[in-house]
Amino acid sequence: MTLFHFGNCFALAYFPYFITYKCSGLSEYNAFWRCVQAGATYLFVQLCKMLFLATFFPTWEGGAGVYDFVGEFMKATVDLADLLGLHLVMSRNAGKGEYKIMVAAMGWATAELVMSRCLPLWVGARGIEFDWKYIQMSFDSNISLVHYIAMAAVVWMFTRYDLPKSFRLPVTVLLALCVYKAFLMELFVHLFLLGSWTVLLVKAVLTGTISLCSLFLFVTLVHSN
Amino acid sequence: MFEEASEVFDNMFKSSFPLTFIVFIPAVLILVSPLPAEAAHEFTVYRMQQYDLQGQPYGTRNAILNTEARTVEAEVLSRRCVIMRLADFSYEKYQKALRQSAGAVVIILPKNMSAMPQDIVQQFMELEPELLATETIVPVYFAMEDEELLSIYTQTLTSSSSQGSLSAAEVLLHTATANGFQMVTSGAQSKAVSDWAITSLEGRLAGVGGEDLPTIVVVAHYDSFGVAPWLSYGADSNASGVSMLLELARLFSKLYTYKRTHAGYNLLFFVSGGGKFNYQGTKRWLEENLDHTDSSLLQDNVAFVLCLDTLGNGDSLHLHVSKPPKEGTPQFSLLKELEMVSTSETSYTSFSMVHKKINLADDMLAWEHERFGIRRLPAFTLSHLPSHRLAQRSSIMDVRSVSPSSRHGAGEPTAGPHVDVKKLSRNTKVVAEALARVIYNLTEKGAPGDLQIFTEQMVQEEQLSAVVDWLTAQPRAAQLVDKDSSVVSTLEYHLGRYLKDVKRHYVKADKRDPEFVFYDQLKQTMNAYRVKPAIFDLLLAVCIAAYLGAMYLAIQNFGFLYGVVRKITQPKAKAH
Repeated sequence: MTLFHFGNCFALAYFPYFITYKCSGLSEYNAFWRCVQAGATYLFVQLCKMLFLATFFPTWEGGAGVYDFVGEFMKATVDLADLLGLHLVMSRNAGKGEYKIMVAAMGWATAELVMSRCLPLWVGARGIEFDWKYIQMSFDSNISLVHYIAMAAVVWMFTRYDLPKSFRLPVTVLLALCVYKAFLMELFVHLFLLGSWTVLLVKAVLTGTISLCSLFLFVTLVHSN
Repeated sequence: MFEEASEVFDNMFKSSFPLTFIVFIPAVLILVSPLPAEAAHEFTVYRMQQYDLQGQPYGTRNAILNTEARTVEAEVLSRRCVIMRLADFSYEKYQKALRQSAGAVVIILPKNMSAMPQDIVQQFMELEPELLATETIVPVYFAMEDEELLSIYTQTLTSSSSQGSLSAAEVLLHTATANGFQMVTSGAQSKAVSDWAITSLEGRLAGVGGEDLPTIVVVAHYDSFGVAPWLSYGADSNASGVSMLLELARLFSKLYTYKRTHAGYNLLFFVSGGGKFNYQGTKRWLEENLDHTDSSLLQDNVAFVLCLDTLGNGDSLHLHVSKPPKEGTPQFSLLKELEMVSTSETSYTSFSMVHKKINLADDMLAWEHERFGIRRLPAFTLSHLPSHRLAQRSSIMDVRSVSPSSRHGAGEPTAGPHVDVKKLSRNTKVVAEALARVIYNLTEKGAPGDLQIFTEQMVQEEQLSAVVDWLTAQPRAAQLVDKDSSVVSTLEYHLGRYLKDVKRHYVKADKRDPEFVFYDQLKQTMNAYRVKPAIFDLLLAVCIAAYLGAMYLAIQNFGFLYGVVRKITQPKAKAH
């Protein structure tokens, strides 16, 4: 619409990242460069994923309105590479668990924000046409920050050698939920024909639940020993 | 954070040139990227006429539009684009919009014009000349109604109308939730078209029997006129006249191929262009024939000039003359023959001669025959209209508008002017009979009044109908038909089938003192962008600031949540 509108969207999308970075104490650990490294890993992983998808998943040319369940599931499975990438980032950083998780998640989410939301916002929100989708996109970026923090925490827990046996199952379930969240959301949208605001709300609730669960597990794990 | 960042960037740029390249080029590209045109709705609009005639400007003088849409009901219209539907259109509303210095006017025409009530069509037809009579500074556009456009109209209507009696808070809420529309045309400013050539066509059938034969000239103009050039299909005026001329050419070319029926009259057919712009084509043709050449059919012994104008409907015929013909002249005999043939045809109600002197002080000539009258050639115009002032002759409502399934006369009667093929063919037959009676001098030879020279089958209704259909399939405003256009070349081909010496004549306006100037940008693509007012942005900014504040507090106090979770999990943790 106007530059002012772009400013609004931009503030909505970026400020939570900034606040999180500042308040989580990452700045005191001199973690900026490490976050950039995590972002670079994100880029590398996305490139690999894209190459893989382009090679092994030809374009689905089914009729309009037909949902290719198996194909989408397979595509979502490729997102497992994200877990590997996060693990890679965390394994290369030495430090406390929280620090590792936050660095990986912040770098990862910021890289995603810059790569996949910056350009649409700049091009779209500045145009003459007004659309709520840019505000929604900004909210979505806030949700994905929470999502990646939770995901990084779950990956960290999963890769700990001292993980108690009883934790194995819930952590695995959470891991699967994290990976297939996008797929589940798409399925919801397709099944219930949700509006864009409802989708955002469902996404927020789902992400909130996942992250709360992982917080519980994390707190239990950290303070149990 | 920022110091670290700058350090990182410094190192980056010092160490490696390619990295700089990778970072900077996209940044520059992003900064200079043009704003995208992803519109809520995109539709074609047709601009109102813009032309100068004899130095006098007419129509709208502007083509650029980039303003927010309103309906006439809104209180403030200045620098807004006023959209109106044809059903609600009136001259008062139009004037009101212009008085309040509206930025533009867009008039939405219904897709199916024939479904409109008669009185609305009639009213609009009468307004058309008024809209064009003076120059309008702001652009005026016409658009065809579709669902999207209608919804834009209704949304604009709700946002413009209901702001009178609400409280301030309600108005604020209203402006935040309502959709505004920014109307933007994609084209450039209109400018004069230089060197525009108006094409006219001429063809002849030579008579036999000695030198210096009398010549009969049959004239019809082919161009159409309406408030918007791209919407002027001109069915009755003057596709009917052209189709009749072609049919007469066909009939008489048949008669002229046989020795026994080859008459002692030259027949000259002229399809003129620029007829709606003071008969520019005819004017130039006369100048060329009378002033510039030595020998021309028009210079010696012209029996009469018969102009055909608006003949596709109606149950009466009017012969418009600027000087009543004297007895004993060929004009007088044609008048008598027309009278006789039309009275013998039972379906007519009346035939009359209408006398109107040429008013040289007028800006516009009334009928085409006046062009010939000025040059002292005996001429008259045949039409079913009793007066030249009637709006049917220059209206965008003048369309064929018979659906293909119900063609051949059986179509629904439409609200506006249209062509009734049955009546057109009957009129054609009457004119052909009368002409033939004059050419063969039948009345003096004692032939009975009800002698049928042409049978019903000879005047081909299909032929007439096909020509009218073809002519009305595209807008034929003089600004749109250039010398390469298919209208001209097909007409030329048609004339060439029946007539000899088919020639083109071009009129170009004088460079220094042009008699007519046309302007471009008559058809454009308009985009309607959904927009919100500035107050909405401010409101949004406040909301976002509040949200971010809440975020900040939540993250600051994350320790509290952590503590709560820890407390809950503690007994569980002890159990481990």
